[in-house]
Amino acid sequence: MEDRDLHPLELTLLSYLDGVGEAWDEEIIEKSGIGGEGSYRRAAQWLISRGLVDEAGASGETRVLLGPLGEECAAAGGTPELLLLDMVEEGTGDFAAIQADSRFDPARWGSALGALTRSGLVRRDGGRLESAGSERGVFGLLWEQVYAPLSQGGTVVLESLDPQVAAMVSDRSPKRGRGRAEFLLSTSTWQKLSINENGRSALERAKAGRIAGRLTPAMLADGSWRGLRFRRYEMDIPAARIHSGRLHPYRVFLDSVRRKFLALGFSEMRGSIAESEFWNNDALFMPQFHPARDIHDAYFLDTGGRRFAPAADILAKVASAHRDGGDTGSRGWSYDYDESRAGLPILRSQGTALSARWMASSPSVPGKYFAIARCFRYDQVDATHLPDFFQVEGIVLGEDINLRHLVGLLRLFAERIAGATEHKLYPGYFPFTEPSVEMHIRHPSIGWMEMGGAGLFRPEVTKPLGVEVPVIAWGLGLDRMAMTAMGLADIRDLMTDDLGRLRAMRVRPERMPGGGGGVADA
Amino acid sequence: MPKIEVARRDLERLCPSLPGDDAVLEELLASLKGELKTGGELLKIELNDTNRPDLWCAEGVARGISALNGYSRRYLVDLPEPSVRIEVDDSVTAVRPWIAAFKASGPPIDEEALAALVAAQEKLAGSFGRNRKTAAIGFYRSGCISFPVRYSAVPRDSVRFTPLGCDSEMTLSGVLSDTETGRKYAHLVEEGALCPLISDSSGSVLSFPPVINSEGTGRVSVGDRDLFCEVTGTDWNTVGLTASILACNLEDRGFRIEPVEIGYPRETPDGGSVSITPRRFCDTLSTTRERISTVLGILPDDAAIERSLAGMGWDSWTIDGAVVEARMPPYRHDGMHEVDLIEDIAVGYGLNRFEPLMPEGYTIGASAAIEDLADAVRIMLAGAGCEEVLLPILTSEGRPGTPPGIVRIENPMTLEYGAVRNSLIPGLLGVEAVSSHTPYPHRVFEVGEVLENGSGDLRTVVRLAVSISGNDAGFGDVHSVIGLICHGRGHSLALTPSGDDRFIPGRSCTLMVDGREAGVMGEVHPSILDELGITRPVAAFELDLESLGGAVQG
Repeated sequence: MEDRDLHPLELTLLSYLDGVGEAWDEEIIEKSGIGGEGSYRRAAQWLISRGLVDEAGASGETRVLLGPLGEECAAAGGTPELLLLDMVEEGTGDFAAIQADSRFDPARWGSALGALTRSGLVRRDGGRLESAGSERGVFGLLWEQVYAPLSQGGTVVLESLDPQVAAMVSDRSPKRGRGRAEFLLSTSTWQKLSINENGRSALERAKAGRIAGRLTPAMLADGSWRGLRFRRYEMDIPAARIHSGRLHPYRVFLDSVRRKFLALGFSEMRGSIAESEFWNNDALFMPQFHPARDIHDAYFLDTGGRRFAPAADILAKVASAHRDGGDTGSRGWSYDYDESRAGLPILRSQGTALSARWMASSPSVPGKYFAIARCFRYDQVDATHLPDFFQVEGIVLGEDINLRHLVGLLRLFAERIAGATEHKLYPGYFPFTEPSVEMHIRHPSIGWMEMGGAGLFRPEVTKPLGVEVPVIAWGLGLDRMAMTAMGLADIRDLMTDDLGRLRAMRVRPERMPGGGGGVADA
Repeated sequence: MPKIEVARRDLERLCPSLPGDDAVLEELLASLKGELKTGGELLKIELNDTNRPDLWCAEGVARGISALNGYSRRYLVDLPEPSVRIEVDDSVTAVRPWIAAFKASGPPIDEEALAALVAAQEKLAGSFGRNRKTAAIGFYRSGCISFPVRYSAVPRDSVRFTPLGCDSEMTLSGVLSDTETGRKYAHLVEEGALCPLISDSSGSVLSFPPVINSEGTGRVSVGDRDLFCEVTGTDWNTVGLTASILACNLEDRGFRIEPVEIGYPRETPDGGSVSITPRRFCDTLSTTRERISTVLGILPDDAAIERSLAGMGWDSWTIDGAVVEARMPPYRHDGMHEVDLIEDIAVGYGLNRFEPLMPEGYTIGASAAIEDLADAVRIMLAGAGCEEVLLPILTSEGRPGTPPGIVRIENPMTLEYGAVRNSLIPGLLGVEAVSSHTPYPHRVFEVGEVLENGSGDLRTVVRLAVSISGNDAGFGDVHSVIGLICHGRGHSLALTPSGDDRFIPGRSCTLMVDGREAGVMGEVHPSILDELGITRPVAAFELDLESLGGAVQG
């Protein structure tokens, strides 16, 4: 400690005390040129802890100020108690008449009467109020000692009041609900400092050397830095906090998933968040009466009756696949497919809608495609459901694709995307794939969890869209992995609008897709 | 996904090979696309295959597990000829055209069986029958019915009967308005239309489908052994399959099924005007060994195929050289394509026995240009000290700062999410509204999709928006940011004053990038800040991300 050079603030404070010997803080702040109260306090604390000044005295007092109710009294020329006493003495014995007096509201008149009867200054005789004499008691003292000086611009110190009055003032200055307070209390403490021998010699040493606070361009220009010694810094002072711009942690997570797929040779699909029922459902061989297509499972868009029907030839092919299988080798759903519904606009409820559109637009064979697509499901928003969310979905097309390739692809995802060492497959059900498979993985930090599903598109899906080769459709649920990587328990936090919460979020690199391969935080 | 509750004791009775260990049970259920949610005495099971309503009950799960364990049986075979008949009147054709029915006699029904019967009835009519629309079910004591039964539609005030659970007679309109069940299902009976009614030859009312049975005949109790079951609805196959599943369930409980003949006034979808129910759907699918190996990548031998089909409960099959032909059991009607047969072969074989292969075709990964552009701009913004947010696309149309033309949702879950955002600015203002406790300045951005309501179509557009808020925040702050980005991306930027009322007059402009309108910028109007309780000035801009594409330098 002894080594450390005096900080400019310390120097200012010591120099001032050197001149006066000792002084109260108010005086120092005002006269030493140290700056504000904050600078004084820091310097004083440092100097006391280094033993260069002593605390020569301390005092405190509580000042009384008028609250909103007190201001009302000052304006009325008296507290409700005093005015009520006046009225009773003048012969107004009817409390209802007093309460009608507009100087105070009825409730205040009521509590004034309570206070006066408790103190015995007013009696109730039958329905009438009577004064017990001309005594004003503590209410008179309150006016003399508090209201009168305050209304003349004076100060009132709680500690110097008559104890009875002080008690009443404290009573009427609630800490909460200051809007209904009669008085407000403001407590101040003062500190008196005196310089000691150590302080004087430290000051002398400091003045003897030519110590510079900072290196300035002028010193560099004229070379004056050569004769200077720079004030030494204390190294254990915490740095001021700054915050940087940065990318959203969930998007950082999704970005790393996207990079993984690009690296695995997948091409990215993009499409509209507004879809037609046709591409969202019909093209995926989900019959119009399917339970998952109830009005409550998708958000329908109000477009003033506009519809977005697909090209007539594709519509015809899909319609016949639904009705009787068409030329897909299926018996179809055997129902009356309603073509007028095909163009109804909805919000995309599954990323597979994009895959359907991609299949209909001459994809490459062999081909591998993926999308990180915003989807919308008709769900209550809660800790496990977002109003909209990202689905990671895609397709793999190839002449010789079969179930074993699907198994291989799922293993690839388990290892490369989730960093899982174990996975297990179960039969699954999706209306548009057969066979369908679900995959559970052992995630390094979550344990066994469902990671996603895949299947071979039914011929009823691929053929009407003009695809003659087998197609693997796959989808992954990565929200839980993302939440784990970000240390979140409530899925709504993935899309929080609270900047404070967002700033506190961190992505844990070891929990990023692929286990440690990801960029941690930007 | 349908979820069911099943008493383990009842399941054990139906399926003597039921494993005692929940973990083993879980593996078996997986082959039925089911998940054991809760083990123990009362099992809770979720069934994922929405095309297999036969599994949504204790009997169905028991059948599935028995078959997997090697104890399969055939259903609805060697049934007697029908001895009773239902006459369908042409009046139902327009309101609820189809009916299926059967009689069943067996051991006195006990409490658990009755509970299972009711549970199956509710699940089938509720989920598979679309809340009784496409199929509703009634059970009766068959001894109380004088056949033939008549299915007709009648004016709603022409008939009175005592509904199940009531103690007095009422008209059909009385049932719809004065009983809880009536009010719940009143929407299934069209306003002013005739009401379906099932009555017997003595004139007694059996039921007012799909609403309620009569108290007299329509109450099945513990100890009953002779039952009559009918299913009515608007969809031919749903009605037929529901009756078949219920008949199979009763066979599992030792009942003998007697079919019922149904006489329709017109031709049915199966041809002819007479239908005998329960129908044996028994979808027959045919495939080849070649197709099996094309789809699965393996070729199981005959014995393995037979083991699979038996384990998956198929009714019967033949393997004749290269051709495999198999018939589904009568409680299933989900065989549409040969791939459905092939999947069952794969599941029976065991998915985890398939050796993985990697797709061999060589493909080159390619990113979407708009995503690459988004990445580049996002990194520049982070470098400019801006923090990225990610907000929901669903929003409410009344949010302050929302431009006109927003697309509303017709069936919103809540008004909070009743529209699709058409601007990113309201979301950024929402961030400011809740973040006053976070140290200023705030420099916030989002890159994300909005839905534009064009004259012809709906366009999904990726936008970029930045807002800056703090004691001294203003136009110049956001101008610097957009200037940095345009300059960095090699685009020219010009500002044209505009009169956008979201901003302070004289402090808003149209952003012109390379001479084309690309977005807006300004100091947010204090009336908006006031409405949102934002206590610091906010300046913001928003533009189409596409406008920053193309002319990239370096």
